[in-house]
Amino acid sequence: MGAVRRDLTGARSGDRRHRELPHQVGVTFVAAVRADRLDSLRALLAEMGGDPAGNAHIPFGRVGGIHYARFFLLEPTADLAGNAIPGELFFMVDFDSPIPARLDNLLTAGAGWEEILGHCEGFAGTGVDACKKFFREHTVRDAAYYVNTVGLSVDQVRLESSLREALEQLVDGSPELQSLDPAAIRAKLVDFVRGTPALEVSLEAAQPPEPAWQLRELGHLLLVPVVGLILLPLLLVAIPLWLVALRLHERADVESAEKPQPAHLGDLEAIEDFGPVNQFTAVGFIKPGWFRTMTARTVLFLVNFGARHIFNHANLAGVKTIHFARWTFFDGGRRVVFASNYDGALESYMDDFIDKVAWGLNAVFSNGVGWPATRWLLWGGARHETAFKNFLRVHQAPTQVWYSAYPTLTALNIANNSAIRAGLRGGEDERSWLSRL
Amino acid sequence: MAIATVNLEVADIQGLVVSGYRRLAAADYVLLRIADPDRARRWLGKIAPRVTNASAPVTTTGVNLALTATGLERLGLDQEAMSTFPAEFVEGMATSHRSRMLGDVGDSAPTSWRWGGDGGHAVDVLLMLFAVDAATLGQLRADQPLDSASGLEEIATLHSTDLGGREQFGFNDGISQPTIAGLGRPAPDRDLIQPGEFVLGYTNEYGLLPPSPSVRGRDIGRNGTYLVFRQMRQDVAAFWNFAAASGDGEPEKLVAKMVGRWTSGAPLVMAPDADQPNLSSFNDFAYHALDSDGVRCPIASHVRRTNPRDSLDPAPGSDRSVALVKRHRLLRRGREYGPPISSAPGGPRPPLADDGQDRGLHFICLNANLVRQFEFVQATWVASPKFAGLYDDADPLIGARDAAGATFDVPATPLRHRLHNLPRFATVVGGAYFFLPGIDAIRRLAAP
Repeated sequence: MGAVRRDLTGARSGDRRHRELPHQVGVTFVAAVRADRLDSLRALLAEMGGDPAGNAHIPFGRVGGIHYARFFLLEPTADLAGNAIPGELFFMVDFDSPIPARLDNLLTAGAGWEEILGHCEGFAGTGVDACKKFFREHTVRDAAYYVNTVGLSVDQVRLESSLREALEQLVDGSPELQSLDPAAIRAKLVDFVRGTPALEVSLEAAQPPEPAWQLRELGHLLLVPVVGLILLPLLLVAIPLWLVALRLHERADVESAEKPQPAHLGDLEAIEDFGPVNQFTAVGFIKPGWFRTMTARTVLFLVNFGARHIFNHANLAGVKTIHFARWTFFDGGRRVVFASNYDGALESYMDDFIDKVAWGLNAVFSNGVGWPATRWLLWGGARHETAFKNFLRVHQAPTQVWYSAYPTLTALNIANNSAIRAGLRGGEDERSWLSRL
Repeated sequence: MAIATVNLEVADIQGLVVSGYRRLAAADYVLLRIADPDRARRWLGKIAPRVTNASAPVTTTGVNLALTATGLERLGLDQEAMSTFPAEFVEGMATSHRSRMLGDVGDSAPTSWRWGGDGGHAVDVLLMLFAVDAATLGQLRADQPLDSASGLEEIATLHSTDLGGREQFGFNDGISQPTIAGLGRPAPDRDLIQPGEFVLGYTNEYGLLPPSPSVRGRDIGRNGTYLVFRQMRQDVAAFWNFAAASGDGEPEKLVAKMVGRWTSGAPLVMAPDADQPNLSSFNDFAYHALDSDGVRCPIASHVRRTNPRDSLDPAPGSDRSVALVKRHRLLRRGREYGPPISSAPGGPRPPLADDGQDRGLHFICLNANLVRQFEFVQATWVASPKFAGLYDDADPLIGARDAAGATFDVPATPLRHRLHNLPRFATVVGGAYFFLPGIDAIRRLAAP
């Protein structure tokens, strides 16, 4: 925290670029685990999970720029054709850019990497370089990645949280403020911030991410519709055919009636609701055949487009409780993992899904085996409450190690803190701004 | 949404589902353990025809009956049958995960419960007896063959107290209740709830039939529901003395801010500055248009978070917001216990000496889906300090205070007031989840 503040305040008089916010990047690692090392890995992950921020193996709390990180182990299983799939170790992290430097810090933090990766198939060699090489080779691309607020860095989240706490304490201790008018109160609060070195930087606007990245995003935003337009004649022919094929598939689909086993439920509940933010990891097979694979990849491409360009500011189609989320294909595209960090209990998360974004979930997950029956991709599905909730629990995988940089802040808290900071410079009318405290 | 007429099978539904039996002022809750399953089944068969159903209003007495998961197991339901009940019912209220979620921590942890917790005193059967007066209740109780021949052992009898519509802190209580659609009772649309939210076998607010348990493939849930029982001890002296110490000379206003209604029952949204006893049973109001920022009725207040009406995201003030809240409603059927701390006509006022008496609420609610209704309301709205964008504000009236820095935010213009270090005023001292079967289901459970 001290280092953070020094950096931010140090930047005030120095190079402007230091205050440009990073963008956020998800990195996903997956590797097969040697069958004879599964027990050892389970024990190691359990130990790390007891203290994600400070454990001796990889102390995530001492690596800068990490919002969330998790390790989870998928137990050995078989695919739909009965072929064996080995146990697989996943590592996922939500980083602030620049990535090469962040990854470097992460992979050199603690001696745990060599120990952990030593459980994986194909890891030979020793030392940091071997770890980096193995990690790089086993990094997979996420099909879709959601960031609650693009550009909001860990440092900024913490700064704005400190700002809000300081202002709340000031108001608690200053009953005389009650007799002033709102404009005068704001002026007093601004004076206080100006006189507090650790907070002074929050008087300036948070800078948007680096121009080169913004340009790339703009390019993506424009390019995709342009390509879509070019392909339009083709799409106009393809979409009706696709719809017919979709309905045929949907009629043939089999909905799972499986309920979660009590022991499985117990494993999941044992690591939930220790604070206001929870992790969620779920894994499933894509329905066999190229049609569902193609549909899933197309939908996730569109989800990713929406997350990057539309739902990039604290609101995912009405859901305001998700910090980060991703969908990733693995096992040669046979399986998909969905992982997220969300606020509140799982029940409220699932109800939000049904009430607000059932169509979006259907579009993605109805390509997975066992999803409640859908109609025309978007209807039905998650709206079958019991079948949907059972499906999620059955497919959920325990997350053995889960780290959060700000475990006491919900997404709504973070957004409100940012608005408090923004209001120091005016903008929002005083009365409404003061009601944020 | 127009609600089609539903024919509820009232003769098979226990009377408690459709009525709190207000005219039956006396009530006992008998907590029982099944010692001998064969005898208990015979007892169940004998009591089945005497269980009060919903076909007619009660007159002098009422008898209702519910069972826990362990009770059903002892009666002989096998694993296959038990697996058709919802996991939360089978696991019970006292798991460590559930305790974290529900705020049953510290002094309220199940390890120290008097009954239902993990310190023993597991309950199998809940027998609820109601009568017009104490004498009639005594007779009703004497009529129950609860000797060893019944195969039942009494764990405790919880007596209730009639405080004339007030609860122990002194507030007019039970004003806001959902109304089951299909019973032909008038209610604002906001409170008219599909029967499947409260009775198994009927359409719920998702337009679906709630999942129903079965025995040997045959539905046994129909016309039944789930009953949540939590015994909450209330520290009335601490509550009012805190209000006196922190309320800037207006303790009644502070407690009104905590509850969201004045002690008379008048809602703060309609009576923001002073109590208006003429609004004591007023319930047809919403939050968003009049009070989106909580300056009248704090966001953190008890009634605003237990029934947020139209105030929640994604579209506060809209039908969509109301529809969302309709999926999290509870039929409250609780009663007070213990002597009132004060006999003053207006209820307790500070200063109050702690008389050491045990008093509080036998909180009882009915719902068809324990997780989506009771647990959601308790965990996401009551116990969570993060409700609706708050930071450290668990329910000021009944919330847990495990975390340091628990606050109560009272929005005001130009600046909010913020109270620190609220004591915990309500402690959970017992509780369990029960299945309240239909009458026919009771008969079938009685069959070997």
